[in-house]
Amino acid sequence: MLIENTIDFFLNMDTAKVLAYFWPFFLLDMTRYLLLDVVVISVYAIKRVFHKDQYALARRQLYKERPLVSILIPGKNEGKHIPRLAESLTRQTYKNIEIIIVDDGSDDNTAEICRRLEQEGKIDRFIRNEVRGGKASAANTALSFSSGKYIVHIDADSHLAFDSVETILLPFYMDPAIGAVGGDVRVANTDVSFVTRLQGIEYMKSISIGRTVSSELGILRIIAGAHGAFRRDILERLHGWDVGPGLDGDITLKIRKLGFRVVHEPHAVCYTNVPDRFRALARQRFRWDRSMVRFRVRKHRDILLPSLNFSFLNFLASAENIFFNLILDVKWWVYIVQILIIHPTILQYVFLINFVLYMAANFLQFFIASLLLGDSMRRKDYLLAFFIPLVPVYTGIFLRIVRTYAYLMEFLHGASYFDKWNPWKVSRVVKEEKL
Amino acid sequence: MRMPCLVARESNTIPQSVLYSDPSSVSEPDSHDIAYWIVDMQDWRAGWQLVASLREHLSPKVYLRPIVYMNADNSMPEEISKAADGQLNGNLDNGTMLEVLASSFEKTNQWIDHLPDTNTAADANISFKVLRLIASREGEQKPVTTVRRKSGYVYPLLEPLFSKRDEGVLEILEFLDTQKLISGSFVSKAHFCSSCNSAFINFKESCPQCGADDLAVDELVHHFRCAHMGAMSDFMRGSSMVCPKCDRELHHIGVDYDKPSIMYTCNQCSHGFQDPAIMTSCYNCGRSTEPENQLSRVISAYSISAIGQNAASYGMEALFTKILDSELQLCSFDAFRDFYRVEAARIRRYKKSESSLAMIALRDIDKLYIRLGGRATEVFGELSTVFRTVLRQSDVITARNESIFFVIMTETSTQHAERAVERLREGITELLSSNLDFAPEMSSLIKTISVDMDLDKTLEAFLQT
Ligand SMILES: [Zn+2]
Ligand SMILES: [Zn+2]
Ligand SMILES: [Zn+2]
Repeated sequence: MLIENTIDFFLNMDTAKVLAYFWPFFLLDMTRYLLLDVVVISVYAIKRVFHKDQYALARRQLYKERPLVSILIPGKNEGKHIPRLAESLTRQTYKNIEIIIVDDGSDDNTAEICRRLEQEGKIDRFIRNEVRGGKASAANTALSFSSGKYIVHIDADSHLAFDSVETILLPFYMDPAIGAVGGDVRVANTDVSFVTRLQGIEYMKSISIGRTVSSELGILRIIAGAHGAFRRDILERLHGWDVGPGLDGDITLKIRKLGFRVVHEPHAVCYTNVPDRFRALARQRFRWDRSMVRFRVRKHRDILLPSLNFSFLNFLASAENIFFNLILDVKWWVYIVQILIIHPTILQYVFLINFVLYMAANFLQFFIASLLLGDSMRRKDYLLAFFIPLVPVYTGIFLRIVRTYAYLMEFLHGASYFDKWNPWKVSRVVKEEKL
Repeated sequence: MRMPCLVARESNTIPQSVLYSDPSSVSEPDSHDIAYWIVDMQDWRAGWQLVASLREHLSPKVYLRPIVYMNADNSMPEEISKAADGQLNGNLDNGTMLEVLASSFEKTNQWIDHLPDTNTAADANISFKVLRLIASREGEQKPVTTVRRKSGYVYPLLEPLFSKRDEGVLEILEFLDTQKLISGSFVSKAHFCSSCNSAFINFKESCPQCGADDLAVDELVHHFRCAHMGAMSDFMRGSSMVCPKCDRELHHIGVDYDKPSIMYTCNQCSHGFQDPAIMTSCYNCGRSTEPENQLSRVISAYSISAIGQNAASYGMEALFTKILDSELQLCSFDAFRDFYRVEAARIRRYKKSESSLAMIALRDIDKLYIRLGGRATEVFGELSTVFRTVLRQSDVITARNESIFFVIMTETSTQHAERAVERLREGITELLSSNLDFAPEMSSLIKTISVDMDLDKTLEAFLQT
């Protein structure tokens, strides 16, 4: 009954009405996420086939040069994950690596576990900071004790595919203007719960597809701390990471400001563990979303203002992010208000049609993603398709509410100065100096 | 009435109330009249030699007697000044002072008097002397630290016994403790070189990669505002600290910066690390090794136990012989003598067979105590097993003291007895040389048992050799 009425309702609308009722989908999301994805990913996939020789050449050069690659793993209370990560590193196809772990003031048995791994020779260096200093300082500690030509930064609760280090290095050998390469981050624990499955799909959309598209358009704005490769000379010029949160996006922008290219490599795979409960997930996203406001809008305001160093792509990289995250968040509320106040009688039709539209879009994206990722998709990744009908509710309602709340808190209170990443004394200095 | 006795090379101007003895002729007979020895410490080195010769004397009536210093000043080391039982302030004419001292030693002197007047062979044994000295004094013998001895600790009362050798006191005390003859109370813990027993061990941090101890130590500094992490030395600009990343001056630790950890860098191989290896090296023999390979000992203050009190009074058949006894059922010397008589008569009567008397002496057995310390019991247990496997059930054994054994081997020719003793020697040598770097020398004598042989004379003759 409802379905028949809905179909009737949809078929009886003219183009103007469709746009009036469903403008967020047809004007914004379809354009940005779908058309762009289809076009760019298709082009990228074709390019990759044509550039096969270049990849092979880059690989030969890499193995000929065999530079030392430092794998930096900062973390607090992550000891339980380290043995598996160390194991995945010893099985890398690229062998000339040094593994440096920094323990940022853990209060569990992390130090014990790591010292043992160090003695067994499974990691090269373990540095413990008795006093916690925050993620950036831990990463900088690791950096200062590393000596590799390239630096790969990995989160402690993740592990790498066997050829990941090799693959993430290849772009450096294809274009000397590349300063940093982001690796793909996939969900390791997809099969643990409903929440992890939804995130599995979300990561494929936003990271595998999203970042590949941004990268192709030259506007990649973040190299994930979970998996990123950097040229050492550039990190040294920048004196490493600045105080977080959002230090990943921050360093990526700084590298762009120096004039280097930043790209995403979807075939360099890192698996990360994601929260398996809605509550934990909400807290995580709250943190991430607040830091977005701070780093794009507050700290790197200069990118948005015309100046001598103005770069149109850098402007786009930031503007796109701010626009689509911040403005579209506002748009979403405007849309809800519009439907609730102006057209309350057709609420159920609008909701159902939106649901179908977004679900269809998600299926299409999933299909594109499997084209892009090819053989690096696991069987359990394909099975995620069954959960796609639920994704519109997850991204459209759950994540939007968390995000809106986070933005509000950040604008009203600057709440992210007191965040989980940093000890309070660091946060206080940051807040006092308005960094 | 006991009187103090001055032990000195010259006897001029000695008051009536003080006896005199030349150091070379200090002896027992009249010493029961002596309240304490007085030693002039004006030249403390010379005085100390006299003190040592008194304590090394064979007679308990001499070596146990309290010693009082005269003319002592602060120039002598602590362990030497504390080795005396008392100090005589003023000169020998001070009769009251002399009496006060005498009465304060009355208890010790009475204890010495009650000792049985029997053979003092055991008093040649340093372990026994130590036991008796502790038993004769009230209270605990407390250790004093010193750099003059490689053991690092001395027990002042016992110190003169060890004036000619620089080892053994801790091991002897440990051994007496395991025998429950004395009981220790915890004072401290100390490390000793496992190859030479020296307490002078240098503990130093070294590079876990190459073993060098030439290390640079640097604190890591974390600048909060920019998250820069670097060695303290990179921040130093003159007397102030400036961040090399953001060029700001650092002011207050905990407010704008922190020192989260310490890093070591090896100056030999450039290895950087946080957990330096600890190495030890001995000042005495130069051996370097990990701390866990060195000896760790508890240093205790010791007092006599009830068993010890008994053993100190009536002799210390206690030691090796006690252990042997539990393995072999040693018989008393009187019973042994009886058995000898019976066996000699039996042989004469039947004239069918031959029995032998074996006399065995293990030299330097007290050296064994010193070497083995607390492990002595265990090794002696194994030694006893050697005895048991070589000797037969029908053999009768007695121990004259801890190093001299007499065995009646029934129905055994001297030839066979010789062979048995030879196997005993082999067994002992093998056991001890695998545990220690030396085996005590063993001498033996085999005689055919006959009524014509006087047992006591034969044994005495053996002991003389
Ligand atoms: Zn070294
Ligand atoms: Zn700084
Ligand atoms: Zn030594």
